[in-house]
Amino acid sequence: MAQIKMINVQKFFGQNQVLQDLNLTIEDGEFVVFVGQSGGGKTTALRAIAGLETITSGKILIDGVEVQDRKAADRDIAFVFQSFSLYPHMTVRENITFPLRAVRMDKTARDKAVNETAEILQITEHLDRKPSSLSGGDMQRVAIGRALVRRPQALLMDEPLGVLDSKLREQMRSELKRLHIARGSTSVYVTHDQIEAMSLADQMVILHDGVLQQVGAPDDVYLKPKNLFVAKFVGSPVMNVADVQINGSEVTMKGVDTGFTFDESTLASLAKYDTEITLGLRPEAILLSQARTKGYTQAVTTNIEPLGSHDIVDVRLGDTVLRVRTESGFVSGEGQPVWVGLDTTQAHFFDKKTELNLRGAA
Amino acid sequence: MPSEVMIRLDPKSRAAAKGLNDLTIRNLFIIPTIVFLIVFNIFPLLYSLGYSFTDFRASTNAPANFVGLQNYRDLLNDPFIWKNFSITAKYVLISVTGQVIVGFGLAMLLNRSIPAKGLITTLMLLPMMLSMAVVGLFWKLLYDPNFGIINYFLGLGKFEWLADPDMALYAIAIVDIWMWAPFVMLLSLAGLSAVPKHLYEAAEIDRAGSFYTFFRITLPLVAPILMIAIIFRTMEAFKTFDLAYVLSSQPNTELIAIRLYKMAFQEWQTGMSSAFAYIVLIMVVAITNIYVKYLNKVKAR
Repeated sequence: MAQIKMINVQKFFGQNQVLQDLNLTIEDGEFVVFVGQSGGGKTTALRAIAGLETITSGKILIDGVEVQDRKAADRDIAFVFQSFSLYPHMTVRENITFPLRAVRMDKTARDKAVNETAEILQITEHLDRKPSSLSGGDMQRVAIGRALVRRPQALLMDEPLGVLDSKLREQMRSELKRLHIARGSTSVYVTHDQIEAMSLADQMVILHDGVLQQVGAPDDVYLKPKNLFVAKFVGSPVMNVADVQINGSEVTMKGVDTGFTFDESTLASLAKYDTEITLGLRPEAILLSQARTKGYTQAVTTNIEPLGSHDIVDVRLGDTVLRVRTESGFVSGEGQPVWVGLDTTQAHFFDKKTELNLRGAA
Repeated sequence: MPSEVMIRLDPKSRAAAKGLNDLTIRNLFIIPTIVFLIVFNIFPLLYSLGYSFTDFRASTNAPANFVGLQNYRDLLNDPFIWKNFSITAKYVLISVTGQVIVGFGLAMLLNRSIPAKGLITTLMLLPMMLSMAVVGLFWKLLYDPNFGIINYFLGLGKFEWLADPDMALYAIAIVDIWMWAPFVMLLSLAGLSAVPKHLYEAAEIDRAGSFYTFFRITLPLVAPILMIAIIFRTMEAFKTFDLAYVLSSQPNTELIAIRLYKMAFQEWQTGMSSAFAYIVLIMVVAITNIYVKYLNKVKAR
């Protein structure tokens, strides 16, 4: 159980800066997920905390103790690798006891710890098998078992579900969450999958090009993205973005004659941006109507993705195609005329130059 | 008729264009090889088995008399032959152990990113590409008590490496280690680089010290390929002839291969030496089998 702090962490690979001024506090017992595109620095940040990667400058504190110059072995953290990294020549039992034997724990304590861990992870029946004879999910359970058995200060996981198939991933995801709640250990988790991140995280840490974009609870990040990258990265389908112009109380999309009416007060401070502004709309912030409605603009549907619980409908409006979330079967087919309206309270405006959110979180 | 198992000749190939078919190609390549093997390997093997039960001497015209197991009985009761065997066993043990330690050590040193790694590896492999006799001759010069460079550097004065009855066998083993440690190194290097790097990271996270990591991770994972190196080197060391023959002619360095050579081509006891050769063959096969059994056990782990 520990608090992890990163202060002004910089990391270069040669000329290439992979972490830039990273400042972050992970509170004791939190489940924190690093998320971002590949090459965004999230794995490097995690490996830096673990001590598998040295940092160029800055400090890393675990429970207030500076550890950036310590070896991984002296930081008392556990790490679950994407490739599992089980020792292939050892049985499951030997794999799980390895961290205990390495520090010469006596046999009775060792056996007790292994049996307990195996029970929690439901791998007791596999204890005497070789990792190569296990399924992917069981291999991952063993890898997690090896990490948990020594009750580390913190548990770090590098895309631990990355190589599993989607069904197993979902199952392991809830198991991880359950385990975290039961153990209460500080957990740091890396993934590129934003859905996985949102479903697991107490706090999401979004990294892009080595720069911290936003830290916050999944809801916060979804509803109040700090910038365009976060807005587009979090949420599925991706947030719609459109180039717009502000005219008094109206916001007009390119290639459309009529604009959408907004609150005067909302637009007052934005008027100075004129065309240097981007409108961001979540698929559920766009409303469709089959009949002419006041304040709605006519458009044509171009594509429908029926997903069972809901449909994703593509609507062409001027130069832009908007993806809209509707109840299933709301639109019968492509090429249908529909009327498009906005839930203006859910609309986001981004500065085109800085890409910062000008509303809500800003 | 070409059998069903044979892979059909590609009808567009050049061989097919020249009017060759599967059968001609088989005859062209396989039959000469088989004939060669029968004439030069299988036939002498069986023929010498026949000789081993006779008192035949290749130097005389006297007809061979069948003596049954007499040759084998004489050989196995001869204390001098047993001396040869114990010398050989000692030599094999020293030489192979030395090669494994030096070779594996070098491989551990080379198994990291160092500048000019390829060049260093190639240079290290040079000794094993030389001819045994040549190596023997120039090490004889290096060991020379009067002008040898080894005594000069070690400050041993006129120490007679190859004439000293206690030292001579070790001196030969040292040359063998110098020559063949690179072979063990090469195989070990292949084994070491096949150990995934993330296993070392996992071990580091698991707080394993460097010795613990070496004995619990590195060694078990390299063991199968190291075992193959040991099998090869044991078989070779067992039948060492040229190196020892060139370097020293002491009774204390008389390996079985040298004894066998003397028996067959200096004393012309053809029947007796055939029997001796068969005893050696059986021993080598037996030792190799033990290793192979062990290798399979290691692999199964």
